[in-house]
Amino acid sequence: MDSMIYRRKWPLIVFLGPAFIFLIIFLFYPFLQSVIDSLHNTLKLGSPRGDFTGLENYKRLFTDPMMRTALFNTGKLMLFTLVFQVGIALLLAMMVDNIKRGAQFFRIVYFFPIVISATALGLLFNLIFLYNGGMINQLLANFGVKAINWKEGGYAFITMLTPVMWQYVGFYFVILITGLNSIPEELYEAASIDGAKGLQRIRYITLPMLYNVIITCVTLAITGALKVFDLPWVMFPGGIPLGTTYLTGTYMYDRTLNFGEVGYGSSIAIAIVVIGVVAAQVTNHVFKPKEY
Amino acid sequence: MKKRIICLALAALFCLTLASCATSSPSANPGGSNNSPVGNNNSPAGNENPAAKVEITVVSSYGGDDGNRANYEAAVAEYEAATGNTVINDATSSDETWKARVRTDFETGAEPDVLFFFAGADADAFVLADKVVPIEEIRTVYSDYGSNMKDDILNTTLASPANGKAYVLPMNGYWETMFYNSEILADNGVTLPKTWDEFLAACETLKTAGITPIAMSVSEVPHYWWEFALMNNAGMENHMVAPKEKGDDAYNAYVQTLKDIKDLYDKGYFPENALTILHAEADMLFSEKKAAFFADGSWAVNSILEHCEAAGTDPDQVKFMGTPTKDASKRPANSYVSGISMGFYITRKAWDDPDKREAAVKFVQHLTSDEIVSKFAGFSSTATKNPVVMADAKPIQQNAIDFIASGEGFVPAAQDTWNADAKGDLFKNVQFVCAGEMTPEEAVDSFLALNK
Repeated sequence: MDSMIYRRKWPLIVFLGPAFIFLIIFLFYPFLQSVIDSLHNTLKLGSPRGDFTGLENYKRLFTDPMMRTALFNTGKLMLFTLVFQVGIALLLAMMVDNIKRGAQFFRIVYFFPIVISATALGLLFNLIFLYNGGMINQLLANFGVKAINWKEGGYAFITMLTPVMWQYVGFYFVILITGLNSIPEELYEAASIDGAKGLQRIRYITLPMLYNVIITCVTLAITGALKVFDLPWVMFPGGIPLGTTYLTGTYMYDRTLNFGEVGYGSSIAIAIVVIGVVAAQVTNHVFKPKEY
Repeated sequence: MKKRIICLALAALFCLTLASCATSSPSANPGGSNNSPVGNNNSPAGNENPAAKVEITVVSSYGGDDGNRANYEAAVAEYEAATGNTVINDATSSDETWKARVRTDFETGAEPDVLFFFAGADADAFVLADKVVPIEEIRTVYSDYGSNMKDDILNTTLASPANGKAYVLPMNGYWETMFYNSEILADNGVTLPKTWDEFLAACETLKTAGITPIAMSVSEVPHYWWEFALMNNAGMENHMVAPKEKGDDAYNAYVQTLKDIKDLYDKGYFPENALTILHAEADMLFSEKKAAFFADGSWAVNSILEHCEAAGTDPDQVKFMGTPTKDASKRPANSYVSGISMGFYITRKAWDDPDKREAAVKFVQHLTSDEIVSKFAGFSSTATKNPVVMADAKPIQQNAIDFIASGEGFVPAAQDTWNADAKGDLFKNVQFVCAGEMTPEEAVDSFLALNK
């Protein structure tokens, strides 16, 4: 039967071909150009390619303190994303899956932040966390508390994290609740007959059955943390204060667009891809997909 | 068979959808010839050739929240109405991303027909590639091209640093200086400072009174304060001289400039959150009458007016001053940064097309006519031979005009001669110097290594 399905190959070519050509032109070719750019010293985006410098840009990645900061922050972001974005999404998905009325309403409400432009959200949260007259500092002032600079010191990372976490919880929520809906009801019925209670049902049925979906969410969260740019940049342009809030995405942008170091920016971009691929492979290797 | 037909039809539909995404080629617009000439004798956008309606692409920085956006769109509409030509108007705000996009367009052969862009080093790539037409060449065909402009400004201030030739016809220039709120100074018994020591004393008084002396974003926009402090240390004569080696006079001036900015930071004259405040927030701080001094340029006058009105503060109290001087013999108190750095280019692509050439030249001549330039310039400087007058100036705008009229000299921005790498590096390091994580010498050494 399988060999019969693929006997006629031309429909595959006709329907997959255009999309593949599109990918080659707008994804693979630019990626190849980035690799070539990373081996050159090109200054100013839009200028002709500069001198060939070999692996100098890659060597600089290891000695650049700002790149170390960006990698460290991105690592922290990955951790927080796993615990708070995926974790909270899982909790919300399990709670919503257990209610009979209002499930659709909660699906819409939790998914809604994804629909909003990240730039708009960044501007919104800037106003919330504004030092002079921002929403939170105004509330604090009502209680006689001095204004806090939410973008300084220990607060900065949490302030950057909060809207990023808030926006994408809904994304993983939708994936997880779809996974929950695909778990056969008979399993829960059988477990009830055997006397399984709430947490036992979650531990022995829900989580194992949702394992593959959770691993997918973990992989997406890890690779997403490497690429995140818009919201952090709007709130913390240039890694303020003093470059301490750089992420790999924002640092790459700053170097390429504001410093005009196209070659070095390209090497950061390639590094992000390599780290993402390695991280995804490690995740898949450690948490192998299981069949139940 | 039926399935095959459906498959082929779907594939054909997909291909047609992709093909229709391509831009259509320009075609002459049919239409009547009832358009009347626009403007005064200096505006040539008359209806001289009603049959040849063309479409030209114009890229400019008169988009976003530029103070002259409405004037620009009105001028473009006037040109279209007068000539019947169509202008594909690609206007955004000027920033590094926009500059990169313009350069990329030239690299990929997608440059516009007319470009409003910087006349300095940012344009070197496409000037050297002969992708824009020099004014001297345009004048071999259109002898009156830019005849209302001062040739000495076109050929010196606006000449390309790449080859010394003039390419651009400007609209209006810019200036950068200190804005101050006269009401705050009066309420706190502070006289307008003229010297640096008076300025420091005024800031101390204001700080004690709970007013933020200077609204400034150290991390995002230290550019203006850099120029003002450099004027004090290098003097008017040497403001444009960049350091060539460690220890030369320019090097020492740059180091002292950073020390002065750090001194203001250490004394607490910048906002408490100076390292994290953004320029837009500093603008709000000033407009809400919570800060006394604010550094910005001519483009900010109208936006400060709007912000004050939105905040319920009196915009009429916003006035202008030169940064207080350390040595009046080297730098007069009422001097400022000014220049004309942008203008209209006609691209080789448009020049080589006879129809587009005519349309592009007429467009630029219309936009740079005395009538239109007057609307744009208002309180800015221009290159026109005839002086421009701003009608119905609001008090804040008149304050700006009065300041420029009383000015004791100006210099161009020193940063316009630096390469992008060095500029980004130095301005990035201002915050590190202020925070004590880098010495001024280290910052200038880093700049020196990059500014080749």
